Amino acid sequence: MLLYALRRLIYLVPVAFGVSLLVFALVHLAPGDAISAIVPPDAPQEVVDKIRQYYGFDKPLPVQYFRWLVVTLSGDFGTSIGTGRPVAEEVGSAFGNTIILAIGACILAFTLAIILGTAAAYARSRIVDRLVTFVALIGVSVPNFWLAIVLVIVFSVEFGLLPPMGLGPDNATGWHLDGAHIAHMVLPTIALSMIPLGVLTRTVRSTIKEILNMEFVTALQAKGMNDRQILFHVLKNAAPTCLAVMGLQAGNLIGGSILIETVFAWPGTGFLLNSAIFRRDLPILQGTTLVLAFFFMMLNLTVDIIQTMVDPRIKRG
Amino acid sequence: MAIQSPSLEIPAGSVKATPASATRGYWQQVRRRLARDPITLICSTVLLLIIASSLAAPLLGLADPYKTSMIRRLQPVLSPHYFLGTDELGRDMLSRLIYAGRLSLFMGVTPVVCALFIGGLLGITAGFVGGGVNMLIMRIMDVFYAFPSVLLAISLSGAMGAGAENTLLALTLVFIPPICRVSESVTTQVRGFDFVDAAKASGAATLTIVRVHVLGNVLGPILVYATSLISVAIILAAGLSFLGLGVKPPEPEWGLMLNTLRQAIYVNPLLAALPGVMIFLTSICFNLMSDGLRAAMDVKA
Amino acid sequence: MFKSLRAAVAGVGLLALSAVPALSQGTLRIGMTAADIPQTTGQPDQGFEGFRFAGYTIYDALVNWDLSSADKLADIKPGLATEWKPVEGNPKKWTFKLRQGVKFQDGTAFNADAVIWNLEKLLNDKSPQFDPKQLAQARGRIPTLIGYRKIDDYTVELETRVANALFPYDMSYIFYSSPANWEKQGKDWAKVGLNPVGTGPFKVDRVVPRERLELSRFDGYWDKARVPKLDKVILFPMPEAATRTASLLSGQIDWIEVPAPDALPRLKAGGMVIVTNKYPHNWAYQPSMAEGSPFNDIRVRKAANLAIDRAGVKKLVGDMAIESKGHVYPGHPWFGSPSFDIKYDPEAAKKLLKEAGYGPNNKPKIKIAISTSGSGQMLPLPMNEYVQENLNAVGFDCSFEVMEWNALVTFSFQPVTGDASKKAGTNALNISRAFVDPYSGFMRLMHSEFVPPKGGNWGLMKDPKLDALIDKAHASFDKAEQTKALADVHTYIVDQAYWIWIVHDLNPRAMSPKVKGFVQAQSWFQDLTTISMQ
Repeated sequence: MLLYALRRLIYLVPVAFGVSLLVFALVHLAPGDAISAIVPPDAPQEVVDKIRQYYGFDKPLPVQYFRWLVVTLSGDFGTSIGTGRPVAEEVGSAFGNTIILAIGACILAFTLAIILGTAAAYARSRIVDRLVTFVALIGVSVPNFWLAIVLVIVFSVEFGLLPPMGLGPDNATGWHLDGAHIAHMVLPTIALSMIPLGVLTRTVRSTIKEILNMEFVTALQAKGMNDRQILFHVLKNAAPTCLAVMGLQAGNLIGGSILIETVFAWPGTGFLLNSAIFRRDLPILQGTTLVLAFFFMMLNLTVDIIQTMVDPRIKRG
Repeated sequence: MAIQSPSLEIPAGSVKATPASATRGYWQQVRRRLARDPITLICSTVLLLIIASSLAAPLLGLADPYKTSMIRRLQPVLSPHYFLGTDELGRDMLSRLIYAGRLSLFMGVTPVVCALFIGGLLGITAGFVGGGVNMLIMRIMDVFYAFPSVLLAISLSGAMGAGAENTLLALTLVFIPPICRVSESVTTQVRGFDFVDAAKASGAATLTIVRVHVLGNVLGPILVYATSLISVAIILAAGLSFLGLGVKPPEPEWGLMLNTLRQAIYVNPLLAALPGVMIFLTSICFNLMSDGLRAAMDVKA
Repeated sequence: MFKSLRAAVAGVGLLALSAVPALSQGTLRIGMTAADIPQTTGQPDQGFEGFRFAGYTIYDALVNWDLSSADKLADIKPGLATEWKPVEGNPKKWTFKLRQGVKFQDGTAFNADAVIWNLEKLLNDKSPQFDPKQLAQARGRIPTLIGYRKIDDYTVELETRVANALFPYDMSYIFYSSPANWEKQGKDWAKVGLNPVGTGPFKVDRVVPRERLELSRFDGYWDKARVPKLDKVILFPMPEAATRTASLLSGQIDWIEVPAPDALPRLKAGGMVIVTNKYPHNWAYQPSMAEGSPFNDIRVRKAANLAIDRAGVKKLVGDMAIESKGHVYPGHPWFGSPSFDIKYDPEAAKKLLKEAGYGPNNKPKIKIAISTSGSGQMLPLPMNEYVQENLNAVGFDCSFEVMEWNALVTFSFQPVTGDASKKAGTNALNISRAFVDPYSGFMRLMHSEFVPPKGGNWGLMKDPKLDALIDKAHASFDKAEQTKALADVHTYIVDQAYWIWIVHDLNPRAMSPKVKGFVQAQSWFQDLTTISMQ
């Protein structure tokens, strides 16, 4: 097991290398020459020189890349063009807020999806099955940023039930687990959970349905096991597949919250990314993308390992 | 290993090639099954209607989708001269919604088609050739997989700047890896089947083997998968427009219309919701059609 | 459509209200349009919104703005300097007498040393406190300042490159941060940004990047009449207009900048107060006068000015605009008496184009660089689309180069003959301009010497007569004479139809009825000290 984990980790090294290459390339994707893409037009020569030196723009591309990689690996992500603060600090504080929101959305989406998916798979009536399938489809078909706006208008503006923006009440710093902060989380969490809810419900439903059609279930029934015991077996068998999808969805939530965070002014990585794009703050864009991609890779690895632990039958090459 | 897609997954080992399925009888069977599936039929009809009307928009005698009128701005739905009302510049909503279908569908379909071509080619090559080539192609794909899809699309178009071309490019790049992976896994399976070996033994040219056996088997599952990606592409493209990274005005496009009508949501909520409804309708139809196709082709999902 | 539902959940709503934590009575919460809190080290970024909320609140300039009246155009008044005058016999030198007894919020004294220290932070790149980021924001504001010298503890002498009668206006944009605090923060401007200290009426309690800027009353403020009534002001960056509207309506904040016009009816229905006033803002097209541009012909410029249905544009922005009659609005002291009447007359416009030799097969091609959003840009996309309709209706062939706001600003830092414009093929520019002072109003935009990057004369306007008129205004040290000279400048540019003027923004803001005592000055800046919360 440990050996497998280690092998997977080593295998990640070339991928991580490629990821860093792609992130590095972001600056050079910008139209025009790189320096004018990064530096504000009215920046004084000192700032231009500092940035030119940081990126090493006068050197050939491979040299630029390795310089950048070495500096980045030492934890220095550069300085934000917009604010002059270190990128690592900016991304660090925003990352925590995004994780909080993603955890909320995961809890909501996964719980509901398991209940709905199992119910649909077990349902004798086609209506329940069709209904759940349809609800799941709505989850993946509705533009979630649009849903977010509708939620704000209905629940914040018209009914005044929930706050429409921000992380928490004005007098607090950082995030705390209390009523006021939870209230701020409700609407963004709902909007963010739609896609994973839809995807996972479909997965749970089809996986369980498939298992229910397998012979061993009939055998268990013949053995005289009661329904609850059988359900346990079924869920256990469905777990690896569902876990894989959950892991991916959790990762997508973290990378995909930009639209939702923008609508709710939630100070996470998505909000940061949006303002970075708006201000053409490429160091922030690079830093955020790199951190999120790295996190996503680690998450996938973890899910992969857990999956193998849950289901040792899976052989991996 | 789970086959991933931006926000829709095909769970582990879901796409399986069916040996020797590329016969005429198989496709007839698929067609028969589809004909008996009312939901897929309805969805295809709706989609056909949307596509046909947007393509034929100039022939439908609609109002000029660019003609503004300040006096008639934000007319409600079902008002005397404007069946679906007017937008914030007094342009006819019905006409704009239909014309917008052109760009929105284009933004949804083009990246998937391009990705299908490139990703499919790469995947089939990787699967068929195997060895070092497979290794190289699939490791490059792994790099793209290390990004959550929305993040990848937004970072790329954020770096390249706003514009329809950049959105298309970013979305294509997002969709190549999942399509490549699906086609690679199917091709690898097909390659292992006896009939391919038999064909090889009988001296058939590699290209013929690829065309007849591999493509015949691979095309079905990948097409099913690609249909569901179109819905993702439409929503992603709309999201980019919403952030100001997509299509530029005054072109009608659903995501952009949603964005510009957002303020009117307080004055005329129904009107402001219409582009959202179009996105939703198109997207859910593509999803349902993908489900129907999958069932008809007996591709397990 | 929500009414019945609203009644049904009224009970639940009451419950929810009690869940919102009660804030102290004197806290004002403001939603800004900026995507981040402005730079707090001294010279703010984020345009004049930054000056409004992180400039004149935390800091003072030597010359402050009198923002006490809604009825007259805001003008300068003594700030950290009590008086100023050019040195006799040498109009390139000014002496500023500093106010005595002023203390920074950290208790250290404000004096001539502090002034010199702060000017060095901007203009002397060898000084340890030199801050390129503050310079980037300040540079365009003080184009003529070249020297500074301490005379005594409360007198400084400033030197300009050319004689500039309007120099005191420039000094209203330069703020003074505490040198002692910079030492205390380890000589690190990034740290100062989190714990800034100025002399202004509000001191900074907390800076949370991207989330909020918390200010509170500075009891030791030197101007006792302007010690804030409020306990606290909290500023939130909210770039999305929809988020601002929703937050105000749900009571999460008390004041929003630039509400979306289409949300105004809903805001009013929700009991919110919409405050407007005219201010020196100009939403216009700046044409190219480069060779080959159709705008070189005065008839084309006049035709464009007559083609635009300004009443329609005004309706589009929810009546929150004044129809332009020139570069400044009628009634402004610089308006003068132009003879060309800017109005909507499409027939006259068609006739002028015909006279200029254009016709259906030979339309004047104009391509305007516009933005998707931005400070002062109002609703750039729909407004431009509407004006495009108007122009095309009289026979123009009008198209756009749409770009993101910062990109457009960057674009304007190269003249029309530069690569960016050539590549895009543009021959007009749509950037909203402020005419707060005569330099930014005329000289910077229209004087032939102020071609980018030096100034904002993007279209390469070159008219010796106009240059002379502007120079005369800047050399007039007598106030009345100066105003007269500026009116002459304005009369001339309107008669020449040098720009295509469209509307002036009315600067709407929406606030909760709890906000009392706010006077909206005719300015880009506003005074928060008079406000109290009920």
